Parts: sequence; structure tokens; C-alpha cells
Amino acid sequence: MKKFSVIALDSVKENLVVDLMDLGVTELNSQDEKMAEMEWAALVRKDGNENEVTKLEGLLGRVDLAIKVLEEADTSKKPLFKTRKAVTREQFKNVLLNRETIEKEMEDVIALSNDLKTLKNSTNKIETTMASLKPWVSYSVPLELQETKTTYITMGVMPSISDVTRFKDNLNAITNLCDIEVVGSDDELHYLIVMYYKNVEEEVLDGLRQNGFSKVSFKDMKGSAAENLALCRNQLDEIANQVENIQLKLAEKINSKENIEYLHDELNIKKDRQKVRARMLKTGHTFYADGWLPEDAVGDVENVFKKYKCCYEVTEPDKEEEFPVLLRNNSFVTPFESVTALYSVPNSKNIDPTPIFAIWYFIFYGMMFSDAAYGLIMMIACGLVLKKFRLEGMPHKLVKMFFYCGLSTAIWGVIFGGYFGDLISIIGTTFFNKEISVPSVFVPLDDPISLLVFCLGLGIIHLFIGMGVSAYMSFREGRPLDAVFDIFSWYLLIIGLPIWYLGGSLNATVSTVGLIMTVVGAVTILLTGGRKKKGIGKITGGLGAIYGITGYLSDILSYSRLLALGLATGVIASVVNTMGSLAGGGILGAVILTVVVIFGHTFNFAINALGAFVHACRLQYVEFFGKFFEGGGIAFQPLKKNTKYVDIVNKN
Amino acid sequence: MEVLNWIFNGNSIAMVGAAVACLAGVGSAIGVGVAGQAAAGVVAEDPTQFGKTLIMQALPGTQGIYGLLVAFLILMKIGFIGGGSVGAIDSVTGAYIFAASLPIGIVGIFSGIAQGKAAAAGIMLIAKRPGEIAKGMIFAAMVETYAVLALLVSIIMLNSVTV
Repeated sequence: MKKFSVIALDSVKENLVVDLMDLGVTELNSQDEKMAEMEWAALVRKDGNENEVTKLEGLLGRVDLAIKVLEEADTSKKPLFKTRKAVTREQFKNVLLNRETIEKEMEDVIALSNDLKTLKNSTNKIETTMASLKPWVSYSVPLELQETKTTYITMGVMPSISDVTRFKDNLNAITNLCDIEVVGSDDELHYLIVMYYKNVEEEVLDGLRQNGFSKVSFKDMKGSAAENLALCRNQLDEIANQVENIQLKLAEKINSKENIEYLHDELNIKKDRQKVRARMLKTGHTFYADGWLPEDAVGDVENVFKKYKCCYEVTEPDKEEEFPVLLRNNSFVTPFESVTALYSVPNSKNIDPTPIFAIWYFIFYGMMFSDAAYGLIMMIACGLVLKKFRLEGMPHKLVKMFFYCGLSTAIWGVIFGGYFGDLISIIGTTFFNKEISVPSVFVPLDDPISLLVFCLGLGIIHLFIGMGVSAYMSFREGRPLDAVFDIFSWYLLIIGLPIWYLGGSLNATVSTVGLIMTVVGAVTILLTGGRKKKGIGKITGGLGAIYGITGYLSDILSYSRLLALGLATGVIASVVNTMGSLAGGGILGAVILTVVVIFGHTFNFAINALGAFVHACRLQYVEFFGKFFEGGGIAFQPLKKNTKYVDIVNKN
Repeated sequence: MEVLNWIFNGNSIAMVGAAVACLAGVGSAIGVGVAGQAAAGVVAEDPTQFGKTLIMQALPGTQGIYGLLVAFLILMKIGFIGGGSVGAIDSVTGAYIFAASLPIGIVGIFSGIAQGKAAAAGIMLIAKRPGEIAKGMIFAAMVETYAVLALLVSIIMLNSVTV
């Protein structure tokens, strides 16, 4: 990663930004720190046009809303993965020649959506009114008639648990000049009409109150309840019609969705162009900017600077300076960057661990998922997805990585002789009464201990590589003694121990060599473990360091999961096959076997693909990265065209 | 006595061993259940997280599978499945086989429950930060180490018994 700084005339700023955005390889730094320094603050001001950015963001908000409305109205089949469409610069420009039309369509869509909302609110209101009118439907007197010359008419409700007959008797005990009629009841309430002579109003109202009666009134409604209900239903029908119309109109607008998406992307590019100006400093007629660019892009960027006659400088970053990190690897390793990315971006002082562990992840995944048929299915599925969908970024890397892992799975499957487990031999014995033996290099269940030792051996190599990277980093940072004391001493100890222990069976001298290595290693660790501490810490540090052997032991044993998970896949597969073959031979047996095989192996595939992924990741993260990796880096975020719906490519 | 013969017959003890191995499923059941409760809570707030939380919920399920694995290996070893004939095994061999079932049977229970709790916490991690699903999975997978080691010991013990 290289640092650049540039000064140029204001007049070229616009075009320079466009060109840099097209290249998409430069990241401009924010200049807030410089503005805090007196020297700088005296010379320059911060550039930027907040208003323009806010305006563009507002417009983008409306465009997003229109797109969302159209997406909800679109009932056609959605693709499995959302990908960007590739268009040339000309095509992009041509679509946006009709900018005004597109903007109008967008506003129409938003207006239609707002109308839809209003209609929905009205529907809700009317439905509530209908619900309150329904219990009164058998009351045929117009609702607005609440008094006559001599009487008052009151509508109200009472809780349904109360006894209406007793209520009537109570009221009639007070006065005869009133009548109560129940027009409806439901789970919660009784609906009553009370008619009484005006001169007994006080007594009646008292009596009503005492018995839990609550008044109900329908303001502004004329006609009977039934008439009003019919009116509401008509209104609802009317609204439903209007809704349908609007939905039809929206359906027509779906064709414009693509154009509106282009508009979104164009606005986004414009907004980013305006936003990046906040990262520049300006004087009366010039501007200044600095930032980062990857080494292989220096040529292109320098050409752009020369084109606009800028004053520029491209240098190495300072010794202790932290810079944003971009990973660059060959086409086999790049998909495995997704594993690194899931953990953390490497620190700028670190090295990229991806090319080192990529092959190991490949091997480990295959060992844990080992089955030739599963591997083949995985390769075919990933291959199809890669061909059919134009994936980018992390999804692309992940799918491609699983493609390679499928290949590894298939290879180990062939080595272990697993094709859907032991399906072939089961079919042979059940249907054809023949012993079919499948060729294999090594069957795990025959001799798991040897395979275990092999896995642990692989683990030791993997760990040693991790430790080796740490030693390399110590050398690179000018601390070679750290490498000797911390890493080489452990190499001696870990290799020496087994040689001493097992060498006796081979040769006495081999055993002695082992003993010497062990002792030298252990003593070095004891003496130098506490070298960074003071006083008594020097001794306890050494003891603590030698205790680290338990850590190494647990790390090595951790690799036994390679065997365990590999066995798990194979055994579950054979369990599935055995269960499927219990029905015997013949047509019925074949049908049952097929059904069991399909469900069982799908289940086995899913569980073990996920398990292999998680555990292969865990082996890298904990055992390998634990030896040398420092995360906490910042990812490189270059100035580029951030388009969501289309990908503007250069015509080739 | 007949009953003592049944109980201390080599095959009986080995069969009990197969049953004990499957007890690891208890741990998985509780663990997956706990994780499922957390997942339901997250999806209630945000239905788009279903896929991610489902993957996290599946993680504590492996202990049950390991238990099934060992149970099957035991049954195959003593000849009850796999088409071979069931021979008589002496009690000592039966006891060895029973002992081989204990590591995964017991460790599976506790590691399944613990992994379920870790997975539930991982699910809440995803709810707050949807991009960090890998880290949540690693946290849960750390617990599985012990189930894997127990499985390994069970398999090695079982393998070293000659029937």
C-alpha cells in the first residue's frame, strides 16, 4: 500500500474526481486532523458542499421509497440471489437521457403509494364504525331521533353478566313511565333502548346509572342502523374499487422499476462525488488531498494526475504508520479470503495469512466431510450457481471456496472409499446378493488409530507453520532472538520428545538425539521464558512458559476432530444405508431404500457440511491464527462507483 | 439365578452401553431447545434472521449424532445389526464395551447443554450485529471440542475391544 498526496487547480477538481472514481483504486483520507493544526488552518479551509449532499440524500430517499413500493407490487418470481446487472457506460448514459420522465414516474409511484395509504386508513375507520353499528341492526328507529314531544330515547349498553329482567323490574319499581328493550346481545354486552317520559328523567337516569348502564350515541348519523350499515358497505366497495385501480396503475409502473434503479445508482454516484469533497482542503484556487492506493495501481493513478497537470507525490507509508488493508491473492487463494474476513481484517503490520492456510483449509475440509458423492454434488451445485448468477464480493468468494472444498471432499472420499457411505456394497448385498467391494486407499473404520496418528501429525505440521510465521515476523521486525527463544526452543522440545520416547525401539543413538533436543529445548524455555519480566519474574516466567506445553498438547489433540468428523460422516451414511436396506430386496425394498437414502443423505450432507465448515474455520482461527495473527486492521475502502443495481463496466 | 444371568450377560451389558451412549441426545435436545428459544425471540423482532438463527440452533445438535454413532458402532460390534450372527460375549468384554459408551454418553449430555447456552448467546449476538455470525459460530464450536474428544475416546476404547 502506497501513500499519495496531490495538489491541483480547482478547475480540474470535478474531472479528477470522476476519473479517480472510475479507477476505483484510491482511498482519500479525512483531513480533520490537519485542520486542527494551526499551520494548516491558517492556509486552507475544508472543502465540501453539505447542502448539495443533503439534497442528493433526500432525493435518494424518495427514489428508494419508490423502488420499495414497486418491489412490493411486483408479484413475478424473484431470483435466488440478488446480483447487479452489467451495463456499459453508453447504455447507462442512454437510459438517463430520459431523466425527467423517470423522475416523473418515480413521483407518480410515490403519489400512488400515498393514495393507497389514505384509502387503507379510511377502510379501517369505516370498518370500526361498522363494528359498532352491527349490534343495533334490529333497531329500526332512526339513530338521530333521541327525543319526541314527551319522551326521551336513549341507547346504551350494559355488561352481559348483569340480569336485564331484574334491571327492568328495578326500574319499573321506580317509575312506570319508561320502557326498556333489548335489541341485541353478544359475549360482552347487552344493547338496550330506553324510552322514558321527560318528566321522570331524573329518576330514570339515576336508576340507569345504578345498574351499570352506559350511554351510547352515534353522532352525525341519520337513518336507522341498518341503513347506515348498508351505506358503510357501499363506501367499502367504492374504496375497494379505488384500491384495485391504484394497484393496476402500480402494476403498469413496474416496467419503470429498472429505470428508477438506474436513477438510484446515478444519484448515489453523484452523492459520493460531492461527499468526497469533504475530504479535501482548499485555498482560493487550488485544493489538496491525500490518501492510499495499492502498489499495482500506482501507474494508472499517476497517469490521471499527469493528465490534469497536478502536483503529486507517491511514497511509502511511514515506519509506524497504520494504513488500510487490501488483500490480493491468486485465484485459488482468493476465495479463502472469506474465512479471514469472517474473523478480522489483518493489521497493517501483519502478513496476510490467507495464502498460507488456504491449502490447509482445503485439506481439512475434505478430511472432515469425506465422501466422494457429497463432494461431487457440492461441486456441481456451486459450479451451477457461479455460472448462473453474477455474484460479487463475499458471496462469490464463499461459493467458489465451497466449490474447491467440494473438490477436496471428493478426493478424500475416493481415498476413504465413501460413495454415499457404503451404499454401493449395501445395494450389492441386499438386491443382488453379491459382495461388491469398493476400491479405496484406506478405510478409516478398519484402523482408526493409524488415521488418528496421521491427523495429529498433520496438526503438528500445521502448528509448526503457524509458529514459523510468528518467527518470520519476529525476524522481519528485527527481533531475531525472540524467534529463537520463543519458537525454535519449542520446535526442539516438541520434536525431541517423541523421538526420545519412541526412538528407543529403533536405535539407541536416535533416542539420545531425542533426549538432547528435548533437554536443550526445555532448558532454553525455562531460562528465557521470563526474560521480559523483572526480578523474581524471570524465574516464574520460565516456569510459566514451560507450562505452556499443556497448551501445545491441547492444540495438537484438537486435530483429532479431523478423524472424528470424518468418521461421523461415514458412519451416519452407513446407518442411513442400513436402515434403508431393512426392507429387503425387490421393488418395495428399492422404493423404500430410495426414499430413506434421499432424506437421510440430505440430512447427513447438511449437518456435516456445516460441521466441516465450522470446525475447519475453528482450526484456523484458534490453533493457527492464535500463534501469530493480530486483527483489528481497517479494510481498504476506495473511492468508487457505489452502484446497487447495475455494474458499469468498460466495454471490452 | 436366571435374572442375574440376564443382567450380567455380556450382550446385555453391551446393549446397556449402547443405550447409555445415546444419552448424549439428552444434551443435544436441551441445548437445541434453549437455542431455539433464543432464536424465536430474535425472529419475533426481525423475521429476516430466520436462516442465520437456524444455523446457530443446529450447532448443539452434534452431540446426539455422536451418541447415535457410538451406539451403532457398539451394536455392529456385538453383531445385533449388520447382518452378522449374535454370538455370546463374556461379561468382561461386555463391561469393556459398556465402559466405552460412558465418555460420549456422559460428556455429550453436559457439553450439549453448555453448547446450547453458547449458541443462544451467539444468536443474541447476531440479533445485535448480523454480520458477525461467524464469530458466534466459533464461540459455540469451542464447546464442541470436548464432545469431539469424548467421541474419540469412545471410538478408540471400542475399537480396542476384541469380540
